[in-house]
Amino acid sequence: MSNDNQRLPGPQKTPSPDEVYRGRVPSARDILDAGRDPSRGAEAGGRLAAVSGAAVGFALLLVVSGSVASMVHGAKERIAHPASVQAAQAVAVADDAEAPYCTPAFKQVLQRVLNACGLVGTEQRRGCQPADVKTFASISDDDFNALFTPLKDRGAVLMFDDASDVLDEGAKKLLDERWLDRKGARYFFVVARASRDGTVERNRALSHKRANSVMFHLKESFQDPELDNHVGLLWLGSEFAQLSNAYCEWPHSRENKHCTPQDINRSAFASWVDCRL
Amino acid sequence: MRAKRAALLALIAAALGLVFSAYSTYDYAVQLDRQVHAVHCSFIPGASVSTDADNPCKAALFSPFSAIFRATYWGGVPISLFGLGAFVFFVGFAVYVWVGDRRLPRSAYPTFLALTLGPLAASVVMFTISVTQLHALCKLCVGTYVASIALVAAAGLGLRANRREATPAESEGVGVGWSTPVVALAALGACAIAPALVYVDLLPDYRPLLEKCGKLAMPVDPHHGLIKIPTAHPVRAVTLFEDPLCPTCRVFHERLVDEGVFERLDVTMAMFPLDSDCNWMLDRSLHPGACVLAKAVICGGTEKGRAVLEWAYDEQDVLRELGKQGAAPLTAKISDRWGRDLATCVASKQVSVQLNQHLHFAANNHVPVSTPQMFLGDQRVCDEDTDLGLKYTLAQLAPEVLRE
Repeated sequence: MSNDNQRLPGPQKTPSPDEVYRGRVPSARDILDAGRDPSRGAEAGGRLAAVSGAAVGFALLLVVSGSVASMVHGAKERIAHPASVQAAQAVAVADDAEAPYCTPAFKQVLQRVLNACGLVGTEQRRGCQPADVKTFASISDDDFNALFTPLKDRGAVLMFDDASDVLDEGAKKLLDERWLDRKGARYFFVVARASRDGTVERNRALSHKRANSVMFHLKESFQDPELDNHVGLLWLGSEFAQLSNAYCEWPHSRENKHCTPQDINRSAFASWVDCRL
Repeated sequence: MRAKRAALLALIAAALGLVFSAYSTYDYAVQLDRQVHAVHCSFIPGASVSTDADNPCKAALFSPFSAIFRATYWGGVPISLFGLGAFVFFVGFAVYVWVGDRRLPRSAYPTFLALTLGPLAASVVMFTISVTQLHALCKLCVGTYVASIALVAAAGLGLRANRREATPAESEGVGVGWSTPVVALAALGACAIAPALVYVDLLPDYRPLLEKCGKLAMPVDPHHGLIKIPTAHPVRAVTLFEDPLCPTCRVFHERLVDEGVFERLDVTMAMFPLDSDCNWMLDRSLHPGACVLAKAVICGGTEKGRAVLEWAYDEQDVLRELGKQGAAPLTAKISDRWGRDLATCVASKQVSVQLNQHLHFAANNHVPVSTPQMFLGDQRVCDEDTDLGLKYTLAQLAPEVLRE
């Protein structure tokens, strides 16, 4: 290994290891010889120790380096071919809410309303006339009304005076409450109606105005830049199936007043809809 | 004979250090596939991996102190690799002194002792970091520290025994040669570096993977309700999705701050509490109370939002317990720390609407339901790149935030 320290100074000059064992491992003979010559023995022993240490260290280093290579290679392989289980793990993605009432039938109507009413796509017009609904809903009036039953607690019926499209304070308050309780919904539906008092044309116009009143109030109150992308207006004239007295049980803006079938149809039903489209 | 026993002890210590370093290296290298893996954390070599998310070995592994050259290589080069190589050397050197015994050059034992001070010094440094920075002691690391100490002790005992056992003639040898220490030092260096060279040479090319985790489809919040967080030298726009009660968010935030990155980001923060009280995307609360604290951060606004968030991170353990008891105790705690005005704000309808807008911002962008999330501009930084690979990822995607 070395000639640095002559730990066993002999009477004669000890030959350097390079002179004695140049480039080779000490043989058994060398070691036996070393037993006879202390100085030479030390050198041989030192050389043997050095070779042993170096051999063990080198072998270990090979093993360790090989293991490291294997670890890194394994990671590289797993990146290239991720385990099927891990690959199949679906990551939940943030999205709008999807409530249980979002049945295919409900979503079909919703989709058609949104398409026809300008919320989806590039159409400029807003709101749908009854004729549109007749065309795109493709379901009976009663079934159409029934679609909104699951929204009973999510939405509210905003009631109007006879022949009026003005929201009273109670209606505004209830509308504000419902609007602010958005949760995960994307679309806010307003379905305006009119009672059968008066002509079909007049009621249709009145229904339209009531829907617009709701829209105007929301615009004024909240100045939400996204409002136009959220609110779908639908106005139904008196030719549509009227709401029955049972709808008086729904949350409405005149809780302290007597509710008749005419009252409940002079209204706008407003609700967030927790469905994805 | 005592010197021989000391050499044997050194051999055992070095072997033990080798085993602990090997486990540390394995735990690190296995993360190179960018998946989530459990790590070993036991004094008993070979014990099964720990699935405990908060185990100190995991904290140490994911800390900025576990590797070097992080900006150059994904995950950096783990320091355990150098330990691994160094202990290989010491196993060899222990064999050398054990076999050589009294026939070794006089400088062998002093060299051995001197070189063992290297691992000891490294252990002292890492121990200090563990105690002062990580506030936890990783068992694998402690095993390495103990092995280093035992190695020094064995080398010291060996030196003493060797001197005692030496004959007067041996002791009176003259001249101090330098070949043994020089060769040994060179061998130690080579051994320490060799595994690291193999490691970096074989590392996969991560660059194509960095931009595969999506983008913000609608990077601008139409309501302008997200929180702007002022920083010292903002040079790169970033959007962060955070949950005040999410432990990973806390660690991530600390990492950004510790590495000096946060102050160079132009931060827009979206609150994304994983609490079903306000977040409809969950069927159960992962972090009950997070909605209340998210509102507190929003109420803090640009001026105090960061301070409120960092307070929530600092007090996270306490706040998580309070959160399980409902909103009232949390609001009281907020009031104690930040005053009644902020607590009143937290209870207001307005801030609920604002938080809802934050959540809709997430929904509009269809981001994964997880926190934390970081978007450099509109480019999402993969979750896998927010811990070990963070610095490398930033060096690739936003090098300006790493420049001083």
